[in-house]
Formats: sequence, structure tokens, C-alpha cells
Amino acid sequence: MKTLKALGLAAAAALAAAQVGGAHAEQTLNIGFTGPLSGGAALYGENTLSGLRMAIEDVNAAGGIKIGDETYKVNLISLDDKYSPAQAATNAKRLVKESQAAAVFVPHTGGVFALQDFNVADDFLIMAYTSVPAVTRQGNPLTVRIPPEFSNYVSSFSDYAMQHFGKKLGIAGATHEYAKIWTEMMSQTWEQKGGEIVASNPMDYNKSTDFYTGVSRVIAANPDVMFVGGASEPTGLVMQQARQLGFQGGFIVMDQAKLDEIAVVTGGLDLLEGAIGVVPLSEYDNEIAQAFVERYKKAHGKVPGSEAAYNYLAFHALAKAMELAGSTEPQQVRAKMAEAITAMEPQYNLYAIQGMSDDGGFITPTTMAVVEQGKIVRKAVAN
Amino acid sequence: MNLLFQQVLNGLTLGSIYGLVALGLTLVYGILHIPNFAHGALYMVGAFASYYFMTDMGLHYWLAMLLSGVVVAALAVLSERLVFHPLRNAPPIHDKIAAIGILLFLEAVIQMLWGSDFRRMASPYNGILNFDGLIIPEQRLLIIVGAFTLMLALHLFLRRTMLGSTIIAMAQSREGAFLVGIDANRVAMLTFAISGMLAAFAATLYAPINLVYPAMGHLVIMKAFVIIVLGGMGSIPGAILGGMILGFAESFGGFYLSSDYKDIIAFSLLVVILSFRPTGLFAKGAH
Repeated sequence: MKTLKALGLAAAAALAAAQVGGAHAEQTLNIGFTGPLSGGAALYGENTLSGLRMAIEDVNAAGGIKIGDETYKVNLISLDDKYSPAQAATNAKRLVKESQAAAVFVPHTGGVFALQDFNVADDFLIMAYTSVPAVTRQGNPLTVRIPPEFSNYVSSFSDYAMQHFGKKLGIAGATHEYAKIWTEMMSQTWEQKGGEIVASNPMDYNKSTDFYTGVSRVIAANPDVMFVGGASEPTGLVMQQARQLGFQGGFIVMDQAKLDEIAVVTGGLDLLEGAIGVVPLSEYDNEIAQAFVERYKKAHGKVPGSEAAYNYLAFHALAKAMELAGSTEPQQVRAKMAEAITAMEPQYNLYAIQGMSDDGGFITPTTMAVVEQGKIVRKAVAN
Repeated sequence: MNLLFQQVLNGLTLGSIYGLVALGLTLVYGILHIPNFAHGALYMVGAFASYYFMTDMGLHYWLAMLLSGVVVAALAVLSERLVFHPLRNAPPIHDKIAAIGILLFLEAVIQMLWGSDFRRMASPYNGILNFDGLIIPEQRLLIIVGAFTLMLALHLFLRRTMLGSTIIAMAQSREGAFLVGIDANRVAMLTFAISGMLAAFAATLYAPINLVYPAMGHLVIMKAFVIIVLGGMGSIPGAILGGMILGFAESFGGFYLSSDYKDIIAFSLLVVILSFRPTGLFAKGAH
């Protein structure tokens, strides 16, 4: 135990030394990130991280964040939690205690809940990339939810699907925490609106070797609409196999999956006719979003997803809030967040976010897209 | 009726892949008594190698599969020469740790070279056969036929050729094999080569209906270990039968009960079989 402690101290000292050494005369502000960087969800974690990195490059290239009279260069410290809430909590402790990170970005629901247990006591801001409503409804005063709550999607997607395809829903969604909450809300909403759930067969999208059996079970009940969704790529496989097995109805796609990313797996949009989902960033026709897409493509060789874009804008909002607050004190930063969103440079606000609700959620206009005749078409949503 | 046949086909598809991967694992275990945890990583490298040969070099599917088999076989032999061979006199735990080391190393290398993106490997067999409502995508049919062909070829090789017999001899008795002058090094390398090649073929057969990414080996290797425990460590018929049992348990359990429970069904089956036959279905009694 003693040696372990000594080792820990030595490591901490080395880390501190490295940071001091790297900082030269400039002041450095540490920002933390904990997310999956290895294992099956590594891509998702790296995508979120890529958005953060781009935003930090922007800020550092412009000289840094001006807080009070000092200017700080931003240093991002990213730790791998392999999607595990427990590991996320350990990482966050390390980020805050060892590196004095003022804010920690977490891109998964389980991790956010784990951090909410102690973020007030340890005094740091959680930048939560998850659209589960409970994240903000629990009233944690130091949490900021970046994407919109998914409850808006559930209702508008259901309306559209019922109108165009029918009232029989087959559930073939995923089984991770986030998907479970979505599925539950989806089932409730569907039945409230007078629909019927003919089959419910959620599948583990991350750990299944094959979906054929699960999908055929849902199709055997003859649904008009199928609810699918987990990470985009396995979702693509599920949808492709549903079409192979003869399913002709519509799909409601959970917001974690993006239509453009699914199309890469299914080899085009032909199989996705009638799929309803969130609007992929690449389909936003305003200049700000397009400029970001182009820039991202140059740097990473692929079209950015919303993980990158939302985290990009969230970091800019955070930086602005720190400037406005003149402090990195989490409470003060959070208090200035709503103002920061309206005050930040429009070119950073990729999703035209309008502000922040009192409980800490960014207010984003709900969007919906449908695949019609081989094209992703934006649809108006009644809010 | 069609639904039933559909599940039989699913079971066969899954069972074929599981069986192929488990075969390589059991071969190595039977002869060297090494639980090769890195086998799943070899499977993954096999998929990436085929992906590289097909998309970057533009080779035909079958040629890519063959080359991938050669690459992974070479990699398996290399791991035997550089890692397992020097450890032959060390306690067994060293082999296990080394195998996990190889697994992590290969995954990290692949992630460094290709990143963690999910990739799709296109196969030339995209069609879907429809026999009066019974739907069979061509690639799935190919998996079943391919796997059985490979299993038959392996059987013939082991039973009908001198080289193959040396592997069997080693598996039956190390000392006996040495007495009749069998070169243990050669047999070890040969076994690793075959297991690597089987993993690469399995991955290339399965990749077109699935995704290619650095962590893809985890799912399959987990099942393969269950299979060889179920079938009897080191048993070849055990690996094939075990693969089929698991494949069918997943497809029927997933269809008639729930996809949520399919793993529970498969693992309960393992518990039941092991409580009646603690050494697996085809125990050899040698160890």
C-alpha cells in the first residue's frame, strides 16, 4: 500500500512537472474529457473529442481565453473510460484533483449520472453530451446538457410515422441505458397517440454478433413501422437486414443514429426509404454549418457527425461563459452560460442554439428529417 | 414453417462462423495446451487484411481471402516463434499473460493504422435468394457452404496426410510423438498457421454481413471459448458441434423467446452440459 501511494505521488509529481514544463510563462487552463477511447464505442468517443479539439485549436490560435486580466491557453486532458460509468467517475476525480480541470466533458448518460453524485462537492462543471431529459431535470446546479432533450423527437417522429405508415409499431431498438429510456418513452407516446405495439424485441447493438434472428422476430408480427437505433453503424445493419427480410414500412430512428452515417453502411439511401430521424449536420443548408463541415472534412477526411459539432459549439460557449464571468469558478461560469450562447460568435453556433433553460439544457430548435425518394428531406416540426 | 427454416438457416450461419473460429482455438489448445486469447485479434486482423486487399488494392474477394489467410497464418506463426516458443518451459500463466499481451498489441496496431471507424467490406455476393418466402442472402449461404468445405478440408488434411497426422500424434501424446521422431517445432508452427488461416477465412466470410472494426474480435472469441469448453478442450468434433449448438441456441432462443435472453439461453446450456459432462461433450481424457 505504501509503495502504491509513493508511486501515485511520484506519478502526480511527474504529471505536475510536465504541465509546468509545457506551459512556459503562459497560464494554462485545463479542461477534462472522459469518454470511450478504446473498445467498441471508441469511434463515438473520438468523434466527440475531435469536435472539442477543433474548438480548442480555435481558441488557442486566437490567443487563448481572456479571464479577468489574464489570458489562458487551453489544455485538453482526455482519459479513456471505455463507456463505464465507474471508470468515468474515477477519471473525473483525477481530472479535477490532479489537473484542476474546471469542467469535464462526458459523452454518455451513465457517466453523467455517475459524476453528478459528487460534482457539486468537488466543485466542477459537467458538460453532458446526452439528450436524456433526467440529466437536467434532477436539478444538478453544475450540469450543462448540450444536445436537446429527446422527448420532442419522440412525439414528432411518432406523429409522422403514424400518418404515413400506420399504427402498428415493432420495437427493435438497442438495450443500453440511453436506448432503454428512449424505448420506454417511445412505447408510451405511441400508445397514447392511439397506436399499437405489435412486437417488442430490443437487441444489444454493441454485443450482438448478428441481428437477423431478432429482426425476423419483429417482422413476423407484421409491423407498419419499426423503431430502431443505437450507434449508426449497427443500426444500419439492423435496417438493412429488415429490408432483406421483406419489411416495407417506415423506420423511426433513435437520435443517436444519424441517417447519413447509416447510409454509408447500407450502401446508399435506397434501403432507407421512409426512415425518420434527426437532421444530420451535413444536411443543414446554412453557411455556418457548411463551413464547419468543409473544415472538418479537410482535417479528418470525413463528414462530421453531431458528436463533433455539438461538442465544438459547447466548448466555444464554455469559453465565452468563462470570459463573461471573469472566472473559472463553476458556479459563476454556469450562471453566465445562457448569456454566453447569445453573445458567442455566430460562426461557432452551428445548430442555431437560442439559449439555455434554467435547469441547464441548451435550447435547440427540434428538427426532423425523412428519407423520401432516395433523399434526406427536412421536415417542419410543430413545437 | 418458413419462419422455422429461417431460424435453422440463421443457426447454421452463426454456428459455422463460431465453429471455424473455435476450431483454430481448439487445435492450438489440443497441441500446445495454450489458451490463445489472441485468437480473436487474429480473426480481426484477418478481416482488416481482406478489407485492405479488396478496397485498397482492388483484388477479388476470393484472392483477398486467400492472401489474408496467408498474412494471418504468418502472424500466428510469428507469435508462436517470438512469444510462445520462448515461454515453453515457463509456468502456464505466462502463456496466458503473453496471449493477452498479443491481443492488446494487435488491437492497438490496427487502431493506429486504420482508426476506430466502423468499416463495411463489400462482397460480390449481394443477391438475395427467395425460395417461396424463405429468404437467404447469398453471402449467408456462402458462409455455410464455405465453413463446411473448410471443416471437411481440415478433416481430410488431419486424417489423410502425413503432415496432418503429425498434429494428431502430438495431440494424442507428446512423448510418443517425440519417440517416433516428430519435430515438435514444426508441428507447433503448422498448428498456429492453420489456426490463423481458419480465423482469417472465418472473418472474411463473415465481414460482408457485418462491420469491420478493431474490437470486432471480442464478440466472437468469447463465444469460441464457450464452445471449446462445451465441446471439450482440444476436441475437433467438439468445436464443430459446440459451434452449432451455440448458433442454434442463439437463433431459436432469440426468435422464440427474446433477443434479450439469447445469451442467457446459450450460457445456461453450457452449465447444463457441463454438469452432466464436466469435461465437455468430447473430452479426450488426455489432460
